[in-house]
Amino acid sequence: MSRGSSAGFDRHITIFSPEGRLYQVEYAFKAINQGGLTSVAVRGKDCAVVVTQKKVPDKLLDASTVTHLFRITENIGCVMSGMTADSRSQVQRARYEAANWKYKYGYDIPVDMLCKRIADISQVYTQNAEMRPLGCCMIVIGLDDEYGPQVYKCDPAGYYCGFKATAAGVKQTEATSFLEKKVKKKHDWTYEQTIEIAISCLSMVLSIDFKPSELEVGVITAKDPRFRILSESEVDANLVSLSERD
Amino acid sequence: MAAVSLVRCERGFARDAAPDWMRQELRTGTTIMAVEFDGGVVIGADSRTTTGAYIANRVTDKLTPIHERIFCCRSGSAADTQAISDAVTYQLGFHSIELDEPPLVQTAANLFREMCYRYREELMAGIIVAGWDKRRGGQVYTVPVGGMLTRQPVSVGGSGSSYIYGYVDSNYRAHMSKEECLQFTAQALSLAMERDGSSGGVVRLAVISEHGVERRVVAGNQLPSFSAI
Repeated sequence: MSRGSSAGFDRHITIFSPEGRLYQVEYAFKAINQGGLTSVAVRGKDCAVVVTQKKVPDKLLDASTVTHLFRITENIGCVMSGMTADSRSQVQRARYEAANWKYKYGYDIPVDMLCKRIADISQVYTQNAEMRPLGCCMIVIGLDDEYGPQVYKCDPAGYYCGFKATAAGVKQTEATSFLEKKVKKKHDWTYEQTIEIAISCLSMVLSIDFKPSELEVGVITAKDPRFRILSESEVDANLVSLSERD
Repeated sequence: MAAVSLVRCERGFARDAAPDWMRQELRTGTTIMAVEFDGGVVIGADSRTTTGAYIANRVTDKLTPIHERIFCCRSGSAADTQAISDAVTYQLGFHSIELDEPPLVQTAANLFREMCYRYREELMAGIIVAGWDKRRGGQVYTVPVGGMLTRQPVSVGGSGSSYIYGYVDSNYRAHMSKEECLQFTAQALSLAMERDGSSGGVVRLAVISEHGVERRVVAGNQLPSFSAI
């Protein structure tokens, strides 16, 4: 059996290469790093936290309009890593899917079902020639009625999974190893500990001593299941307690 | 029921096979009302749902939340108004998440109007949309059958409303307080329920303001009475 040459399009559209790879999907993963940012999400005992960098490269930009944390429903939020335009498209689709679920079935969409839906849509892009995969990775957090706090991640390949802690973006690998070490020791952290782990992970991996204006933090707790983006003063308080600890 | 219709299948008898009320559409022959005051709105409704002459539900809740501080009062066909409310709740919820702020009452009213006007031939729905938003405070918008939209400081609707236009016109004053509005609404609804056969049960009231929603029920025996006859 000859090795079979492709017509040369396997790098151009989402069809298999002779080795069984989807080059376009792999390129989509590389595109996530184009954003130049890293995000981290951690699940605690009764809370879930997402943290991401806030880089405002241009002095003319209005910093208050730059964000990578998005609310999908009242009680579900996400952090997007990768190409901003693709991220917004995916967030809007997620909002639509969640609203449609509530309308059709009469109850709020569970976090895992939302992630599943987005992942299934992403998978379709990996099979259609006329569409490209989106160059972004979505980490969703929410509080499930039965299972408590949840962190789910879905990627351009259409794969999704629940995590105790995860990272996405440029320094994904380094961040993941840092989190693995933490999880090995214990993984039922309190709210304060969860935020500290998330922020210190980013700090360590990027070697940046963060100022409150350089971080975005989104939280969901059992006491307040509404997805909330922390204000600068709250982030400051957390950074201060983190530095005092060290 | 099926066995009975088989036996009496001649034209003339078929009508007796099922009671009249089982073949009638489910309606909220109703009285609904909403009043604006400085800081919010007071909304009220009776609690009777009828199929023909049978009262299918004597404790209906016709005050339906569309969003945190926006409610609608439903009159007309129960199925139609429920379906419209569900659709508008869905659209408004999505819109609000995209905006990342609470929606305007006017937006909700417009969504109701869009639906009621577009499908005016198929629908039988008279809806009063009322709520509070940061921009314009308490607002009442009425979308009667046909799909018109207008804002009014006080609005009544439903079959029972015909009997209380006089009362409302003569007793409404601008700049009433919250308590005065509650009294005014409860009294108007009681009068309508007294005269309209399709309205009755309890009076359901709600106050919507910046501070949230406060719901009340006035039971039949606690309703204000007016005439000795």
